[in-house]
Amino acid sequence: MAMEKKSKWMAALKVILWLIVLSFAIAFLISLFIEDDFESLDGNVAVIEITGPIVTSDDGYLFEDVASSDEIIKLIRKADKNDGIKAIVFEINSPGGSAVASDEIAAEIKKVNKTTVALVREIGTSGAYWIASSTDHIVANRMSITGSIGVIASYLGFEGFLEEHNVTYERLVSGKFKDLGSPFKELTPEERALFEKSLDTINDYFIDEVAKNRNLNRKEVERLATGQFYLGVDALNLGLVDELGSKDEAKSYVEKQIGQEADFVKYKTQKGFLGSLSDIADEASFFVGRGIGSAFFAKAESPKSIRITA
Amino acid sequence: MKSVIASKKTFVAQASVLKRIGAFIVDLVIINIIILFPFRGLFESILPTTSFSEAFEFLRQDAGAGTMLNAIMFAISALSILYFMLMEKKIAQTPGKMLFSLYVKPQGKDLKNWQLFVRSMFLIPAFPFVLLWLIDPIAMLFTKENQRLSEILSRTKVVEQYRI
Repeated sequence: MAMEKKSKWMAALKVILWLIVLSFAIAFLISLFIEDDFESLDGNVAVIEITGPIVTSDDGYLFEDVASSDEIIKLIRKADKNDGIKAIVFEINSPGGSAVASDEIAAEIKKVNKTTVALVREIGTSGAYWIASSTDHIVANRMSITGSIGVIASYLGFEGFLEEHNVTYERLVSGKFKDLGSPFKELTPEERALFEKSLDTINDYFIDEVAKNRNLNRKEVERLATGQFYLGVDALNLGLVDELGSKDEAKSYVEKQIGQEADFVKYKTQKGFLGSLSDIADEASFFVGRGIGSAFFAKAESPKSIRITA
Repeated sequence: MKSVIASKKTFVAQASVLKRIGAFIVDLVIINIIILFPFRGLFESILPTTSFSEAFEFLRQDAGAGTMLNAIMFAISALSILYFMLMEKKIAQTPGKMLFSLYVKPQGKDLKNWQLFVRSMFLIPAFPFVLLWLIDPIAMLFTKENQRLSEILSRTKVVEQYRI
């Protein structure tokens, strides 16, 4: 009886040992798929990258580097909530993008009660400059490209192509502006005026924001808002940036502001393997359900496909 | 004169609810040590907080963390099910049951894999299996042989061994 009991405990022990090994193996495998921003965040200065076109959501940009306002706002809030983080540095390498996304990020930066610095690397134009201007201090490389204050909503028109191929656009709309911006028909003067009015309004917001953020005269910013880009060195003379330099200069500024040594820590959300798989699955299901052809057609036809970018 | 020493005899009877609860607690402690421990680091890196409300808010804002947490929950659940299935398959007991002399008994001859799985499916962290956490103990109180619903479905029961 005692022997039988002993052998039972031995069998149980074997199962336990086997399960311990299996648990560690599975935990290790899962850790390989965990997203980057889950790493332990030691350091007192958060570095948030703004790389690539600025968009509101990164859905549908599986293999492209984009700066999604959804993700960036999340990271800003995370850094702001963390008492150990004393300052946030935005490492910018973006040509701009969605005006809405840029405004969302800029507004979030202004809510932060910590020192904020923009470090413009290669490029920080348009919407990316809008974001940079909302920080306390802008550091740019002397050769980096910045500025380009202005908005754009250009698109390709296919009306000539359709006509050439004897394809007609059957216009069936309930309101005269319902298909405003359809690439299959030419803009009427009235439609063009409407479009330009909207662009002017957004441009005014952009100029107002830059003037307010940079303590510049509105007239002066208006003069600069031709869409022209400026090299870092010119931008400094025009008051669009505060300092020429790189990460070291940004670090020195932060250290002066927080009164302690700056230890940079990257805050970023990099899609893990599972996240990427789920994105592929989402996109696949979407297109399977809708039909690839019709999805393309609807996207091209819908006025919503026109993006106003800054 | 001939002396007669009665040898001990083994009897099998219905397991008491209290002993079953005791055995389950012991098993949960073991699972906590051998299965949950390796995942502790992952939990801490995904949820950088110990406050429930903060964790909830964090998961609400971060869908990626929620997905990862679900993956970990399912892995833990699968390993816990394996714990019960392997133990009961090999020795018809778990360490908890061994301490209280409890055994799993099938209606037929041997415990089959499907029976072992159905017995443990309350550990699957998804609807409707989570309902078994409520239904199983209630069923235990109202059935003749103190059977959980999972046991009725798997045609198994837990018995207690006495030696007199």
